[in-house]
Amino acid sequence: MRTPSRHRTPNPHLGAYYGIITAAFVSLAVLLAIAEQLGWSDGAIARSMILLPLALYLFIAAGSRTLDVEDFFASGRRVPPVYNALLLAATAVGGIGFFAYTGALFFLGFDGLAIGLGWTAGFLLAGVLFVPYLRKAGAYTLPAFLGQRFNSRFARTTSSAMQVVPTALLLAAEIKIAAAVIAVFLPMSFWLAVLLVAVLVAATGILGGMRSLTWTGSAEFIAGAVGLVVTLIVVSVLLTNLPAPQFTYSEMFGSLQGAETAAGMAPLKPGVLVPPLPATAPMQAVKPFMQSFGAINEPGFIVLFFAFALGTAALPSLLARSGVTSSVADQRRSTAWALALVALFVITAPSLAVFAKLLMFRDMALAPTAGLPAWLSTLEAWQLVQTSDLNGDGLIGPGELFIARDGVALALPVLARLPYVLTALMAAAGLAIALAAAGSHLFTLAASLADDIYGVLDRTPIALPRLMAAWAAIAACALATAVFLFIAEVDALRSAVTAFSFAAATFFPVLLLAIWWPRCTVWGALASLGTGFVVMVLAVTVGGLFGVAETAVGTGLAALVAALLAACAGIGASLYGPAPTAGEMAYYEEMRKPEGEAIFDLAQRRATPAAAQED
Amino acid sequence: MTAEVPETTETAVRDRHQLRTLAVAVTTISAMLCGVVITILYAVSLNRLWFLHFPLGFYLLAQGLLIFAVFVTFWYVRVQERIDHTRSVNEDVV
Repeated sequence: MRTPSRHRTPNPHLGAYYGIITAAFVSLAVLLAIAEQLGWSDGAIARSMILLPLALYLFIAAGSRTLDVEDFFASGRRVPPVYNALLLAATAVGGIGFFAYTGALFFLGFDGLAIGLGWTAGFLLAGVLFVPYLRKAGAYTLPAFLGQRFNSRFARTTSSAMQVVPTALLLAAEIKIAAAVIAVFLPMSFWLAVLLVAVLVAATGILGGMRSLTWTGSAEFIAGAVGLVVTLIVVSVLLTNLPAPQFTYSEMFGSLQGAETAAGMAPLKPGVLVPPLPATAPMQAVKPFMQSFGAINEPGFIVLFFAFALGTAALPSLLARSGVTSSVADQRRSTAWALALVALFVITAPSLAVFAKLLMFRDMALAPTAGLPAWLSTLEAWQLVQTSDLNGDGLIGPGELFIARDGVALALPVLARLPYVLTALMAAAGLAIALAAAGSHLFTLAASLADDIYGVLDRTPIALPRLMAAWAAIAACALATAVFLFIAEVDALRSAVTAFSFAAATFFPVLLLAIWWPRCTVWGALASLGTGFVVMVLAVTVGGLFGVAETAVGTGLAALVAALLAACAGIGASLYGPAPTAGEMAYYEEMRKPEGEAIFDLAQRRATPAAAQED
Repeated sequence: MTAEVPETTETAVRDRHQLRTLAVAVTTISAMLCGVVITILYAVSLNRLWFLHFPLGFYLLAQGLLIFAVFVTFWYVRVQERIDHTRSVNEDVV
């Protein structure tokens, strides 16, 4: 007889499994390093370093396939806190953090710290304000929680439609980044790489839903962390003789300042027009790393910080994982671990930017006497760097270098003249993180469309059609994203700013009211959702014509204004509309109780015998 | 009359739990957000001081506040678990 999953305990061998996976990944890198010394070609090393881990992720996904609804949508509610934290951190940071954020730090230096700080503070806000209560509610998706909290199918379907914007933007950005990495290292075009990534991510989701996503994502996070840490430690040892890049890059500030001065970078004067966030096309680095508030002033820094903090706290892809651990306390611990992992990444990222900038401009400063560095041709071939003889003197100087923002992380091992295997390792690491994040966004999007829209239309409690709807939604969303990437130019960092701003404006106020204010009614929730979403849409579309949300800071400011208006609308509609019903009050009281089974599971258990009796 | 006493006590336990939960949430969040905003506003001045070879304003925004956030969050988890445990014990007594 099959035991109900809520009584199952976590697999006691998980530690051994992931120890083996980590050892396998490290062994692969070591073996390929040996193979490189034995004369293997760069192509063979890159193919092995990228394709073998991809096969491993697919193998894990196939091993964790399931047809159980609770396993598919909530990973059986038995994921240990640390493993859930791995995927939460990978989803928040993603390929956007790995490539676009490190690139933004390369260009903006000090001013780019607002984004990382916002991610970390967002986890704190989510862990304190939302996550424990969402775990107690036990809904599979964020719209499902709102629907159950206010007993409203309309609120559920409306919020499901609204979450498409932030989730789809992030999904497109992650798939684009993963495809760009594959296109550089494997012999295939970018468009074919997009299709490959979309198929891979969809296959992971279809095989086991949240369950396969959890276990595949954990392996991907480990691969990403190992690749990033190993490469940075090697560069740190080469430059500073110490294996702690987070602390040693400060010793490079003097050399970096010299290299920046040689490249013609002077502190920006107020009023100088610099794009607050660097674009995806190759561009010149003009701002010294350590100059504070040169491209983004203090108010802009605060706005960007709050937009990312509120957006992270209310991001549907992160909150969808609020029901996967075994208890409220475990879910809270899981968020704390995720915050620690994100903080570790954010602490590490500036070291990557400093090392890359120092190596690049130090070599270029020596170019007139020592000749152009060898890495220039490699990075030009990968389209990560372009040169242009701007002053027409027939020489390429440091000020004539155009650098692709999203390629800085990939360029670091080449700039440091490390063995090629470490470049492939860095690529495999970034790809793994991007795949984990893309999987989370795809599943959140598809599960919501299947469960909150199809599930509301067809409420028959039969497992297979529900899963089939989810499979179809996953495939359709992956295909639609691939088509979107064929026809639209996506800037990963800009998409992230817009997505986090939409999440902050649309979902943060309504969640705050629904969880912390018993007087909040369905009318208040709808008013809050509608106001936040509409104001953001107007700011991005109509406001864009008048320069309102043209820049990242402008979009962030629009999100904060929209969130404030949404909170006011929610409070006003709740106070001046009908009082909350007894059912809503009872749900609120039960949700605030830390002990006991998830409300959704209890309702399901009560509904199943009733349905059996009717049959 | 006798039925009202436990209900009142249960309500008191619930209200006390919610008040303490709110207090610890406000403390945690305001500590973090105030720390960030104050550091941003004084970052330029703080950058005149140095810590571990970093300008202090940069260090706080790049590392210090993140380490602080980790400690505050784990402190919050511990305190909130104690508050939740107290409610469970009190409800059992009621």
